[in-house]
Amino acid sequence: MSIPLQGELAGEAPVLEFKNVFFSWPGGKGLSDVSFAVPAGQFVLISGPSGAGKSTLLRLAVRLEEASQGNIFLSGKSLKSYYPPELRAKIGFVQQTPTVLPGSVRDNLLLPFTLNVRKGEAAPSDKVLLQWLGRLGLADVELDSDAYGLSVGQRQRLCLIRSVLPKPLAICLDEPTSALDLESRERVEEIAEELAAEGITVFMVNHTGYYPGCPHMHLTVYEGKVEVL
Amino acid sequence: MNEDFISISWVQLLIALSLVSVSGILSIYYKLKLEKDLAIGVVRSFAQLLTMGYLLKILFGLNSAVFVMALYLVMTLFSVNIIHGRVKEKNVSYLLPTGLAVMFSYSLVTILVTRVVIGAQPWWEPQYFISIGGMVAGNSMNSLALSLERFFSELKSRRDEVEMLLCHGADYKEATAEIFRDALRAGMIPAINSLMGVGLVFLPGMMTGQILAGADPEEAVRYQIVVMFMLVASTALSSIIVLQLVRKRCFSGAMILLTGKKK
Repeated sequence: MSIPLQGELAGEAPVLEFKNVFFSWPGGKGLSDVSFAVPAGQFVLISGPSGAGKSTLLRLAVRLEEASQGNIFLSGKSLKSYYPPELRAKIGFVQQTPTVLPGSVRDNLLLPFTLNVRKGEAAPSDKVLLQWLGRLGLADVELDSDAYGLSVGQRQRLCLIRSVLPKPLAICLDEPTSALDLESRERVEEIAEELAAEGITVFMVNHTGYYPGCPHMHLTVYEGKVEVL
Repeated sequence: MNEDFISISWVQLLIALSLVSVSGILSIYYKLKLEKDLAIGVVRSFAQLLTMGYLLKILFGLNSAVFVMALYLVMTLFSVNIIHGRVKEKNVSYLLPTGLAVMFSYSLVTILVTRVVIGAQPWWEPQYFISIGGMVAGNSMNSLALSLERFFSELKSRRDEVEMLLCHGADYKEATAEIFRDALRAGMIPAINSLMGVGLVFLPGMMTGQILAGADPEEAVRYQIVVMFMLVASTALSSIIVLQLVRKRCFSGAMILLTGKKK
């Protein structure tokens, strides 16, 4: 199926663009001839059954996997033309399993600013960190508390904040609400929409397909094929 | 050699063999399935040590640097082969880095000890070079295998952590810094434990061997101290080199982690 490339229609380079991308895992599953383009500031919902290739799509976007055919572009430049750490500093990725490191909540939130790729960038102040914790319903979490003491749902939100703090061009969220109650889930979804409104393109995987809000774009993944709804 | 030295006859060697049979019986009784390995180990140690004994006898007579280096090369290549057999990793090729690390670190430490510390003339004098080189290779081999095994298993079990760091813009060194340190520590702990326990918990084989052969215990102790320090150096050096080279190979040019894929 030929899908109109929205970035081309708008006359400016899309933030993320897949052009005839193929990928296969050793077991045979994968993605086949995937093409789509997403302009800046969009909130993109990605849905489909388990194992359909939703996470693979995100992993390809941050180059944790390499496409066997086709090209992927970030801001009009092939992913291959970026130095990998610089690419990943521009497009955030929150994994399905929230991973925190030993240390305090503050240490974990400021982790991206300790890396060479962000040398010279000022780390956010405690005030900013606390504002973000409050925005995601974690006002009762102290910055000095042990990150290992957080629940899975709290860790999911910590990982989301950690990826958003460096202000990337786009952010890929792989089922960021899977361990959250309804209230927290709605809050994360609101934040995702707010981020898109602030100009950060958001890709959010949701395997249930149910989404109460109104995404700008909806990609469905089924048996390795991607369709834009 | 001291006149009091008691030589061991073939019959006495066979009596010693009965000690291994105890392990064999235990293996059969508890169904450990180690009998085959034990039998192969016994045959190999007999064959390898006897061959080495004869080779050394010939080498001492030949007085040739080329033959000494050739034997040393064979010994180090076997140590690489043994490490390769013990580390289970299919996705990352680590044979060449291991070979390079082994060659460089073993040679550097062995030459330093024979030439500078002991002051052997010439520095490749087989009595010293092969004995010291053998000890370096044997001990560093275990440390290298431990370091590599730990590094690969941690990379697999902490794959999410490594990928999380990569996703924040870490390069492969930053993403594996903690795992690198853990693996290095794992390889160096046995050598450091030996430093702590030597003379208190155990008397090392080399020193005991010299004393049994009639050497002055004070002289044997001095040699043993040199050996202990050189083993710490060689394990550290070889582990650092091999891990530096191998960790780069665990990632593609695009800094994609190549080992421990979930799908």
